[in-house]
Amino acid sequence: MKPVRYFILIFSLFATLSFVARKNTHIGRAVNDFQLRNTNGTSTSLASYPNAKGFMIVFTCNHCPFAKLYTERFNQLNEKYSKLNVPLLAINSMDTFVYEEETFKLMCDKANSEQYLFPYLYDNMQTVGKDFHAEHTPHAFVIWKEAGKWIIRYSGAIDDNGEHPELAKPMMANAVDDLLANRLVQVPETASFGCAIFYRK
Amino acid sequence: MRHFKVTSLIFICLLLVANIHAQTYQALRIPDTLSGTTFNLVMKDTFKQILTGQQTITGGINGDFWGPTLIVNKGDLIHMNVRNKMNDTTTLHWHGMHLPAVMDGGPHQTIPPGVLWQPFWTVTNNASTLWYHPHLHEMTVEHLMKGLGGLIIVRDTDEAKLALPRTYGVDDIPVILTSRRYDANNQFVVQNVSYGDYMLTNGTPNAAVSLPKQFVRLRILNVEIERGYDLGFSDNRTFYVIGNDGGLLNAPVPVTRVKLLVGERVEILVNLSNDAIGSSFDLKAYNSNQAFGFPGGEPNTSGQFGSLLNNIDFPVLHINVAASTANPITALPSILINNTYWTAANATVTRNIAITNGQPGPASVPFNFDNVSFAINTINKTVQKDAIEKWTVTNNNVFGHTFHIHDVEFKIVARNGNASSVGAYESGWKDVMYVPRNENVSFVARFTDYADPIHPFMYHCHFSNHEDGGMMGQFVVVDTTQTGTQTVFNENDFVVYPNPASSRLFVKFNDINTRAYYIRITNILGRTLMMLPQPELSNGVDISLLPAGTYFMQLTDLKTKSTVVKKFVVE
Repeated sequence: MKPVRYFILIFSLFATLSFVARKNTHIGRAVNDFQLRNTNGTSTSLASYPNAKGFMIVFTCNHCPFAKLYTERFNQLNEKYSKLNVPLLAINSMDTFVYEEETFKLMCDKANSEQYLFPYLYDNMQTVGKDFHAEHTPHAFVIWKEAGKWIIRYSGAIDDNGEHPELAKPMMANAVDDLLANRLVQVPETASFGCAIFYRK
Repeated sequence: MRHFKVTSLIFICLLLVANIHAQTYQALRIPDTLSGTTFNLVMKDTFKQILTGQQTITGGINGDFWGPTLIVNKGDLIHMNVRNKMNDTTTLHWHGMHLPAVMDGGPHQTIPPGVLWQPFWTVTNNASTLWYHPHLHEMTVEHLMKGLGGLIIVRDTDEAKLALPRTYGVDDIPVILTSRRYDANNQFVVQNVSYGDYMLTNGTPNAAVSLPKQFVRLRILNVEIERGYDLGFSDNRTFYVIGNDGGLLNAPVPVTRVKLLVGERVEILVNLSNDAIGSSFDLKAYNSNQAFGFPGGEPNTSGQFGSLLNNIDFPVLHINVAASTANPITALPSILINNTYWTAANATVTRNIAITNGQPGPASVPFNFDNVSFAINTINKTVQKDAIEKWTVTNNNVFGHTFHIHDVEFKIVARNGNASSVGAYESGWKDVMYVPRNENVSFVARFTDYADPIHPFMYHCHFSNHEDGGMMGQFVVVDTTQTGTQTVFNENDFVVYPNPASSRLFVKFNDINTRAYYIRITNILGRTLMMLPQPELSNGVDISLLPAGTYFMQLTDLKTKSTVVKKFVVE
């Protein structure tokens, strides 16, 4: 009897201190292809990349201080994984009616001035953000092509240290590595946090 | 054997947890100051390195957690430029400040993202420690938890004459007390949390400060969600309460403990003259073994009403004694200022408010007043301008609460009907009072200067989870001596010029007695860009920040409260 009680005690200690309450998981769910305006003047969809095995889809925006920390990492991740047919697409799903700083014009200015080497896409109608259930900027997803469908295989944070990339554990990249090696994703879901994405009703 | 192993495992777990929050002191952050008569405040989503590892998402006003200390002078006309650059709508309330309701920043003065809100008023408060914070209904917990808020120090000539410490950050130290619970990603836990697990003093974990060997003034504010602090020093030294929420007491009050509930401020003097340089002691919360109903006295260590800081004594600020400054304060003033307080006998109106509901159970209604929950369009009380009123708040309920009222500073005149039960430490002007379980508390206040039959002030429990839950009411102050004939206000009654405009936009009323009650400037998409409560229009409206384009001015007049829209062009 006693050991059982202690087990419960230990478990509850971990439950309160170590784990976050999980919402409904989106891992394993299919997402739809999309067609969005790209700050490079073109229009981009998943089908624009016929050789892609998967994508890193990162929801980000112009003004969020925490999201801004990741620009250089997006360049590096895209550089590394595009060659392995897993490109990075950055999508801005912020409500441009509410947030003046999130207009397409300002997205283009930012992509130019900060030398984005990855596509920066404008989710004007917020449909892609809603389809992914993107909650914050940044919110990272890894989707993988399985039987002709795009399946979410990772959702959450890009890594675990916004300000100090050199100290960060790269959870999103680890998920891509797992998928490229035909392994199960070790950590398929982490918490995303940053600036909240509010959806128009 | 098995017993031993499991116990060791628990011990190791606790050590690991303790390691994450190692007890190495960090220098107490002293918020920057802003002074003058125009204050630019930008509210934003941001982040802060609080723990090791991942940064914590926070909210900041001009910074990353908790805003600048505003230093204002009694008698000055001050202008606030509040810009909301957060993703979320919010409000900014000037807690303790006596000002028109439409400038007050309560739940009605919502500031949408991107908007510039420009309230202004003449400071009539006495020298005191006030503060500012968001007050959006049902979002107060979340916005306060992010760290949005700041201190206001009001200075005046009476206080300036006294030999008191007042060198900010040197011998006059802001001490803003709160705590947070963190999740596994170092983020604040916001939902279903009444108490944090780890202290943040001025946003600093494990805070320590060096103070000079002389009399030092601490301006202490409780910005918890629910926790009260029973404050004292680790060596049980006597210290002196010199000020309550609304200003200085008549004379210092010696104490060894002082309770400080959410929203309350206390100014204290501490004598460090007899301490050795290099010695140290702690300002502590003596929260163990409090009477039931004291918030934070519950025994649980986790869950909605539990915390690692509940029902224990814990340090809130480590103090290292350093050399004295050039012109130290070395003596305690025997008297401070001469307050003229209202007494119960002055009151011409008496009101009774009962704390109701909040019983545990699935079908229960959250805590409220007189069985009525806050409703944004319901005015609960109407007060005549200049009336002196006595309000008695009765708590025959399950737990302790606070009671805060906007617009006025009040005098507590009785606890449980006895004037003698009011503590000397709470004998000054107050705007928040502790209403313990099984007590009733009475205050007297005079509602001067600002009448507005439409725009209400609030009264509420300052536990932000309780106010978000509906433990809040609204009152208007009306001036029945001002009748005047109601006329129609329409688009022919004023012109907006020049059109097109470039830097300033002027409004000319046909009737010189017409006054603007509210101006809202929107762009062609309908997005609000500027909100100007009761603007003074003789110098026009500064529109220099608006890009070229077509805009609309929605002008509401003071007398009829009718709104007329006019188009104008910025070139």
